[in-house]
Amino acid sequence: MDGNSERLVLALTLLLAGFIIVFVVLVLLIVIITIYGKLIQAAQGATAKRREKTKKVVVETEKLPEQKAPVVFGGSDDEIPGEIIAVIAAAVDAMYGNGTHKKIRSVKRSGNSRSAWGRAGIAENTRPF
Amino acid sequence: MDIFSQLGNIIVELYNSSGLATLHWENYVMILISFILMYLAIRKQYEPLLLLPIAFGMMLVNIFPAIMGNPSTQLMTYDQVIANGLDPASYTTTTQLLTKTQAISGGLDPTLLKTVTLHDGSTFYQAVYYNVTENGGLFYYLYQGVHLGIFPPLIFLGIGAMTDFGPLIANPKSFILGAAAQIGIFITFIGAILLGFKTNEAGSIAIIGGADGPTAIFVTSKLSPELLGPIAVAAYSYMALVPIIQPPIMRLLTTKKERSIVMGQLRPVSKLEKIIFPVVVVVLVAILLPDAAPLVGMLMLGNLFKESGVVDRIAKTAQNELMNIVTIFLGVTVGATASGTLFLTPKTLGIIALGLIAFCLGTSCGVLFGKIMCWATKGKVNPLIGSAGVSAVPMAARISQKVGQEENPANFLLMHAMGPNVAGVIGSAVAAGVLISVLK
Repeated sequence: MDGNSERLVLALTLLLAGFIIVFVVLVLLIVIITIYGKLIQAAQGATAKRREKTKKVVVETEKLPEQKAPVVFGGSDDEIPGEIIAVIAAAVDAMYGNGTHKKIRSVKRSGNSRSAWGRAGIAENTRPF
Repeated sequence: MDIFSQLGNIIVELYNSSGLATLHWENYVMILISFILMYLAIRKQYEPLLLLPIAFGMMLVNIFPAIMGNPSTQLMTYDQVIANGLDPASYTTTTQLLTKTQAISGGLDPTLLKTVTLHDGSTFYQAVYYNVTENGGLFYYLYQGVHLGIFPPLIFLGIGAMTDFGPLIANPKSFILGAAAQIGIFITFIGAILLGFKTNEAGSIAIIGGADGPTAIFVTSKLSPELLGPIAVAAYSYMALVPIIQPPIMRLLTTKKERSIVMGQLRPVSKLEKIIFPVVVVVLVAILLPDAAPLVGMLMLGNLFKESGVVDRIAKTAQNELMNIVTIFLGVTVGATASGTLFLTPKTLGIIALGLIAFCLGTSCGVLFGKIMCWATKGKVNPLIGSAGVSAVPMAARISQKVGQEENPANFLLMHAMGPNVAGVIGSAVAAGVLISVLK
């Protein structure tokens, strides 16, 4: 074989080898990810069910007091609008919810006068390494 | 009159040391190209984060080539050191044995030198030279990060810290599209061999098809460092030109009906799955392909920083400060490799043409595999997400979204395209590992 045909054989070998290796590695990843994904989902599903059994979370649809006019948060009226309750419930669920139903029993104003952004900034800058 | 003649001499000296006297026509062409790239980066906003430093580095090196100059060591005799106003005590010395003729032609007086008589009776004169070193240009030192393959893994660390592998974990089949888009690399390798490039050069050229700048630089620094300039410029230019290159290929290879396919919602992925993912990928890829370990390892380390949620500060540094610093250094020094006299050669044109072919082939293979998946799933996969298998993150995924929305404005393919897109990053790193292990 002359130099050129040798190089061409190498190129074709690399094409096949590269194609096969890349696909084999990525298919192996597909298999592993699918398997562990299912295992984790199953494990988390089982944990959630167990929690439901022991806790028996009550799903209640409470009728919120009807709002006649939107109340300005922080105003003289202590009543919190339904929309705000919904937003708080969604935020709580996003942070702590894991698929189970929860109920907001009460919402109290924080006594801290510093804004949430201010507190986040302080936490960011004072958290130790 | 003396004043006028001295003034004239100064002006002549200034002219001789200025770019007007030292630059070649190739430098002016490259300066012009850098202006075009700057225009594309600023006005058209084609990957400005990369294109702007690249273009500026290109301009600077063509105006002042010494900015990329290598450090040099000149051997000087004692008299020369003194004549140049230097302090001999500051330099190390080298002793050389010279014949009488060599000593005289080197401007040395043999009678002042020590003699050495060898066992065969021949006499040599012992000349002492001072190693007068001159530092390299600024970009020479910054370029070492590219040359030694340090910057690409650091960029991967940042990319990992910014990437959400959720869409890929939710739909692992995306890996197929990420792998398919790498076929272009290996086909281009054959093309480069047929065009007469050496095997290591062909490997470096072919990796441009992965549309991954850091990977292209990493492979080239290992296989053919002399081609780093043209390959890096070609790879980054094509990444910047994804919005121009990909859509026509995507439209050509798909039907209107296929482009309009709306894909189902992806399942939510738990935090635990996201934490396990980087570890699993590194273990598997690094064991099977150790040459891909620096890239995949750093990519997944960055991702673990992000997903673990316990090292926010490090994750933010990797995403922002570190990534930005490395991008600046990488961009300007990659641009600075494009010095006109070295860059404007037929070989470079061949590399740029082959790089474009590799990139188009990668896109085409991705879309064609997307079509196969569309057929296999009975129309549940939009083939447009296949083009995102080339790893230009997130631009390629955005293009899938854009072309899909042209057919159906209510179609949101972005998250579906992110799966193949991040799979493409892993796929191109794996392909890089294959090329390095076979061709090194």
